[in-house]
Amino acid sequence: MPSQEKPMSKAPAPSDEVLVEEFQRGDPYAFDVLIGRWDRKIQGAIYRIMGPEEDARDLCQETFLKAYRALGTFKKEARFSSWLYQIALNVCRDRLRRRKSRPQVSLDELMEAGEVAPFGRGPSPLDLIEARDLSRAVAAAVESLPQEQREVVVLKEYQGLTFLEIAQALDVPISTVKTRLYRGLGQLRVRLERQGIRAATPLPALTP
Amino acid sequence: MECEAFREDQMDVLYGEADAATARRVSEHHAACAACREEMAGLRRVRRDLTAWALPASVGPRRAQERRAAPWLAAAAAVLAALGAGYALRPGGGGADVEALLARQETRHRAEMAALRAALVPAAAASGPRTAEGGPRVGSDELLLRRMQAMIRDSEARQDARVSARLAALTEEAETRRRYDLARVSAGLSYLEGRTGQDMVRTTELMGRVLQASQQK
Repeated sequence: MPSQEKPMSKAPAPSDEVLVEEFQRGDPYAFDVLIGRWDRKIQGAIYRIMGPEEDARDLCQETFLKAYRALGTFKKEARFSSWLYQIALNVCRDRLRRRKSRPQVSLDELMEAGEVAPFGRGPSPLDLIEARDLSRAVAAAVESLPQEQREVVVLKEYQGLTFLEIAQALDVPISTVKTRLYRGLGQLRVRLERQGIRAATPLPALTP
Repeated sequence: MECEAFREDQMDVLYGEADAATARRVSEHHAACAACREEMAGLRRVRRDLTAWALPASVGPRRAQERRAAPWLAAAAAVLAALGAGYALRPGGGGADVEALLARQETRHRAEMAALRAALVPAAAASGPRTAEGGPRVGSDELLLRRMQAMIRDSEARQDARVSARLAALTEEAETRRRYDLARVSAGLSYLEGRTGQDMVRTTELMGRVLQASQQK
């Protein structure tokens, strides 16, 4: 098969939707470009939704496998990214279902597991911060959210999707996305404040 | 309550998705409602806190990163060898290798993609010359998965190759620059030498004339 096009051309990168069209017209190379463009982002989202114990790479492959099979029938009603995230989320949910009841990681369990230190025993929440474990504390807090809230928090805060894109990916109304996010942020606020977590926020002045 | 009616608008403002009318509505409400103002501030703080969660280096994939180390190391070693030992790269030498590597990967990748497409057709037709055990659907699933893994691997390998190509180009550019500088320095030196030589000739000439003149007297 002769390769007529240069793989490293200087032409402006085609949009996802253009690549999808090329794929649908029979150019399999277009799908590979889409993989190159999205696999890291999808892996990041999966990792944040599923936590470190699940192999994000594995689930990412499953996502692209499903996308490859369904791309022939992809309609341009939604953006490709929303569609891809939708598949990734379904893959995650399937895995969670198969895990039977995924042990909801509560703060108490994390404390028992030594992931987060309880008050007065081991390193205190303040120690956690001082030990630059803020990242882990935030991860644990997000992980402790109910699945629906965790999904929107991850898609909004870490994947930077718009409300519309999230609504398309989750197939729910925009107002539902906003409500879930609002509740999720509220819970995170409570959890993080309870642990004394503050990222780069100046301490309140002791004297007025 | 009244505040709840602003909740969605508040979310739009929080994430910069509010249009002018919405933003104005929220701001007017905040001017009158301390509770919502405080809540908004709290949500902004949480958003800032959330930025602290960094992805571990292992996401991207661990195994791929081990593989990734090889081309990087090779490229870095090449730079060190070229610069440190003063080894002069022939123009285009390193780049050509990388180009060849890229071309080989590209060919292999295209072949795999073609095979993948070919594999999909008989799966749909449900009568391919497939191995007896496993059944065609399971077989095609496994095949697809393997292909997909290969594709993701290749996608990563090509990214590596692109980085290596860029590194090689940088090495070459540095080498060209070095040789250009050397040429300039040596041109400058020979100019100085030329000056010195001419001065010597003139001085010798003068001395000769002085000697001649003194002998004539």
